[in-house]
Amino acid sequence: MEKKDVVDYGLPPRETMILEEYREKHATFEKLLQVVKNILSESIASNSIYINALEARIKAEDSLAGKLERKAGKYSSLSDLTDILGVRVITFYSDEVDKIAALVGEIFEIDWENSIDKRKMHDIHSFGYSSLHYICRVPRALFEDPAFPELNDIRFEVQMRTALQHVWSVLDHDTGYKSGFEVPKEYLRNINRLAGMLELADEQFCAIRTGINNYRRHVQSLVRSGKFDEVPLDGDSFGNYLELRPFDSLNNRIASINQAEIHETSLVGYLKLFLFLGFKTLGDIEKMIKENSEDAYQLAAFQLANTDLDIINSSLAVVNLCAVHVLKRGGGVLELTRCLDELNGPSEVNRSRAEHLYGRAKKLAFMEAANS
Amino acid sequence: MQIVKTQQDATLTLALEGRLDTLTSSQLDAEIQGKLDGITSLVFDFAKLAYISSAGLRILLAAQKVMNKQGSMVIKNAGPEIREIFDVTGFSDILTLE
Repeated sequence: MEKKDVVDYGLPPRETMILEEYREKHATFEKLLQVVKNILSESIASNSIYINALEARIKAEDSLAGKLERKAGKYSSLSDLTDILGVRVITFYSDEVDKIAALVGEIFEIDWENSIDKRKMHDIHSFGYSSLHYICRVPRALFEDPAFPELNDIRFEVQMRTALQHVWSVLDHDTGYKSGFEVPKEYLRNINRLAGMLELADEQFCAIRTGINNYRRHVQSLVRSGKFDEVPLDGDSFGNYLELRPFDSLNNRIASINQAEIHETSLVGYLKLFLFLGFKTLGDIEKMIKENSEDAYQLAAFQLANTDLDIINSSLAVVNLCAVHVLKRGGGVLELTRCLDELNGPSEVNRSRAEHLYGRAKKLAFMEAANS
Repeated sequence: MQIVKTQQDATLTLALEGRLDTLTSSQLDAEIQGKLDGITSLVFDFAKLAYISSAGLRILLAAQKVMNKQGSMVIKNAGPEIREIFDVTGFSDILTLE
């Protein structure tokens, strides 16, 4: 480093030496930052943990000088300071802090004596800054570079916290009351009230996510065991239901009319049509398939049989099933148009398609029965 | 089959006249295949198209697949006969008809 960059902070001799050591080892710290960040981000991704952020910084020189000035006499050498390199992993959920901690413990050598779980430091009357700090080293078995022989000896800090804990920490720091400035008690009380609220919010987010995951597993299990009447119709359940490919049988039958190829498209969008038709459970769809498959096939056959069209879309079965369902209940062009509007958005095209469907269907037996 | 091709900026319009069937679909395919780079809006004008076969449908589906990644595709002015073919095959559900 050039002489002109060196600032004299007026520190005592030992602290000045520590600062010089910091300057000399800056390149090693920069390398360590990259190594730690890469190792952590790869491990987090390979363990499928979805995090809010991974941050890393080397303590700024003026910040270190300030610390050495405030705590003059405390440190003998740079290696006594464990936060020159600081890494922060911010998770969405509080239980993911523990997952990250387990991962960090597995990857790095942990200095347990100096690692703190601040989450466990509050007594029953206090709330506040909650974070898990591990003091780590990079094991030689994991990474070694002859160009940076001291890299594996340097301790660094990994902070692990939730996004809400992070917000708390940033705002709490911003109020500055820990700096010795006397803050009136009413403000301190309000800060603590806020901390308690954030802790509760973290717990609730976890509980809600766990509840949703449990519901999804329950729905999957009900769908797999065929208990369709017990499964409310929603996005999750319909997605699981589609995996059973409930419309394949009818599509294959329709395709066989002209030995047609079936062009596969997603049927997820048909959920809104079923909800529009008033279906409450997957059982309602199953019932509709059983009751209307034959007539839906006849309707498709009536339209396709005198053509040489040998490609159909995989939506054909469900569209014909819904059309038959509506027509059997006394619906006509208006009701069919409403269904198509719901499915594809309002358009003049829907009306003509509904008219066409109705015109074909009224020649079929099920319409006679419905109108008699 | 006649194909009138007009391009304005990133919008390509193909106006078809006649029958899009097994014999003529290769003609449309040649106009589209590898020629949609930079196109964000593909418009088919079917006002003068009298018939579309399965081969024609397959060309449209291939074009739709490309345009799903880079923009949009619209079929305009399709007459009742063409619309009926889209309806009975279920392709009205995935093609944008105006």
